[in-house]
Amino acid sequence: MAEMLWVLLGVCAGGAAGYGLGRRRAPTAVAASQPAHQHLHSVSRLAGSLVPVWSAQLTSSRTQMETAVGTLTERFAEIVENLDTVLESSTGVLDEGQGGTFDRSRERLGGVVGTLDDALSSKRATVAELRTLLAFNDELRQMSGEVTAIAAQTNLLALNASIEAARIGRAGAAFGVVADEVRQLADRSAGTSERMASKVGHVESTIRTLLTHAEETAEREDEAVAGANAEVQAVLDDLQAVVAGFRDSSATLSRAATGIRGDISDSLVNLQFQDRVCQVLEHLQASIDRLPAVVEEAGERARTDAPPIDPDAVLGEMEASYTMAEEVDAHRSGSGAQVRDSEITFF
Amino acid sequence: MGKTILVVDDSASVRQVVSIALKGAGYDVLVGTDGKDALAKLDGRRVHLIISDVNMPNMDGITFVTEAKKLPAYKFTPIIMLTTESQEDKKRQAQAAGAKAWVTKPFQPEQMLAAVSKLIAP
Repeated sequence: MAEMLWVLLGVCAGGAAGYGLGRRRAPTAVAASQPAHQHLHSVSRLAGSLVPVWSAQLTSSRTQMETAVGTLTERFAEIVENLDTVLESSTGVLDEGQGGTFDRSRERLGGVVGTLDDALSSKRATVAELRTLLAFNDELRQMSGEVTAIAAQTNLLALNASIEAARIGRAGAAFGVVADEVRQLADRSAGTSERMASKVGHVESTIRTLLTHAEETAEREDEAVAGANAEVQAVLDDLQAVVAGFRDSSATLSRAATGIRGDISDSLVNLQFQDRVCQVLEHLQASIDRLPAVVEEAGERARTDAPPIDPDAVLGEMEASYTMAEEVDAHRSGSGAQVRDSEITFF
Repeated sequence: MGKTILVVDDSASVRQVVSIALKGAGYDVLVGTDGKDALAKLDGRRVHLIISDVNMPNMDGITFVTEAKKLPAYKFTPIIMLTTESQEDKKRQAQAAGAKAWVTKPFQPEQMLAAVSKLIAP
């Protein structure tokens, strides 16, 4: 298209007035037999026909690029936003959700095991109390034996007293009655002592049964609590492993998501080219739109013998319309210019 | 809640690049597609900084800055011009209108954030 532009300008300026326009001069092929104004008119018509087509093509291309890059950036932005959401929720779940749940579960299960331990301690205390009670019962048995011995001795003394009372005759009759009463008391004491010994035996038997049962229960419960404790710890270990696995996976995903986010952000930075290219195309389109008027003016100047168009003036006008440094660089160098780095000026 | 920055640019890609960079740094972002749209977006709401393009349809960036500065609520709001343009006379116009900085595209997000944090605390 640029080549065609130069051909047009060359035909117009060179063919009609003998001047080439611009740095590159296009070959001219003006038939000598045709009047110059006819050629000028045809060139003007050609320019008037071509420029809207070029302009339409440029507009179409620019619009397509704007639409495509705009859609692309929107999609990228959505991906970045989704990644941010995923990262936020993933971190939140592990820090506040699963991690917190695990800690709370451990605390609650620890409480349950602690309650079982407390119950077991209470049972052990009961067993100890029963053993103490058994010791007291032994003391009662000894005391009962001592009472039996005292009753036997008292009985013997009362018997001797009765014999002595009978030997002294009527004078000892009253004393003999007392001695009989004492002997009866000794017999009753011996009977009571036997009953006590029997009861103490029953109590001991009952305490031993209770003690045996309590010890067996405590032993079983001890094993049960130890088992429960081990199970709880095993479950907690498993849960901790699962949570750790989640954390590792989440960390890996988080690193990947952060990397992807960074890559997309970098890609978006590179898509800034669209804004710059659109401006270049806008300026190019404005220059092309100016072409019919330039050609018309060239023809008019040829018809009126006015001085030909100054190509430097046209190019200067183009250059003055640029807004970007690299546009000026490309214009002056005649080749593609490097995009300059960003500059920041503070006022 | 982060500080709010209004980004004004007719290029969707530039709006997205700037928005992502600012949001990533914890700022809240409002966007306008040109000067006229941006003036409507201001509408008395709290905006801590404005980043505006220069060359835009409907209302260009210099006119937008001039109009925004006429509004009492935004008289002291710092404004960064973000543009492909590098002409000194445009820079002077922007400065005269009340802009505080001039950043040329293409820019790296870090450069933009550095300019922003120089004008407002994060």
